[in-house]
Amino acid sequence: MAEALILDSEAVNALARPSERRVLAERASAVLRIAHEKRALVRIPAPVLAEVCRGVKYDSAINQLLNNPGVRVSELSRASAQQAGHMLARARLSSSHAIDAFVVATALQFESAVIATGDPDDIRRLAAPFPSVGIFAL
Amino acid sequence: MSQPAAKLSVSVPSELAAAVRKRVGARGLSGFVARAMAHELEREGIGTLLKQLQEELGPPSKSEMARARRVWPKR
Repeated sequence: MAEALILDSEAVNALARPSERRVLAERASAVLRIAHEKRALVRIPAPVLAEVCRGVKYDSAINQLLNNPGVRVSELSRASAQQAGHMLARARLSSSHAIDAFVVATALQFESAVIATGDPDDIRRLAAPFPSVGIFAL
Repeated sequence: MSQPAAKLSVSVPSELAAAVRKRVGARGLSGFVARAMAHELEREGIGTLLKQLQEELGPPSKSEMARARRVWPKR
């Protein structure tokens, strides 16, 4: 099993629109470079797209990023979705954090993974029991 | 779910072929090669994205690179 870089919504937005989000994009490109050095896979959990896609008029930059063969969308399986629910319960978080939990569950599909996120506190809380998951705060 | 398979004939160094066969066996060879090909295409895609980002932003700072390296879990 491989290593992976998991992109949360802020990372996706920053990589899709670097000129509008220069500081975040610089940070995201740093962690992307390390992922490339490590031969890690780069994945966007499918539920993250619900946070970053806002209509045909606005999605062209996101679609361009998604069309890159190296940036692949990770579909949500039944097992991962159930694991996400269990994580929310363990961390005593409500369903409003479901997408964060899906992001962590996607990271757990790999031998080890780093999550690039603009929301490190909640992700850290959910990922706390899992030493195979690192957090990179944008 | 599974896509139609294409048969390929490729030449690779014999030592490499032997090492891969030893690792995955004759029956696992197609899957291994398919994963390696997919991974290489993905890496090229990320390389292209990194070039575009560097043209737009310049290289990331040393401090961000160091921070990005530190967060990776120990294997």
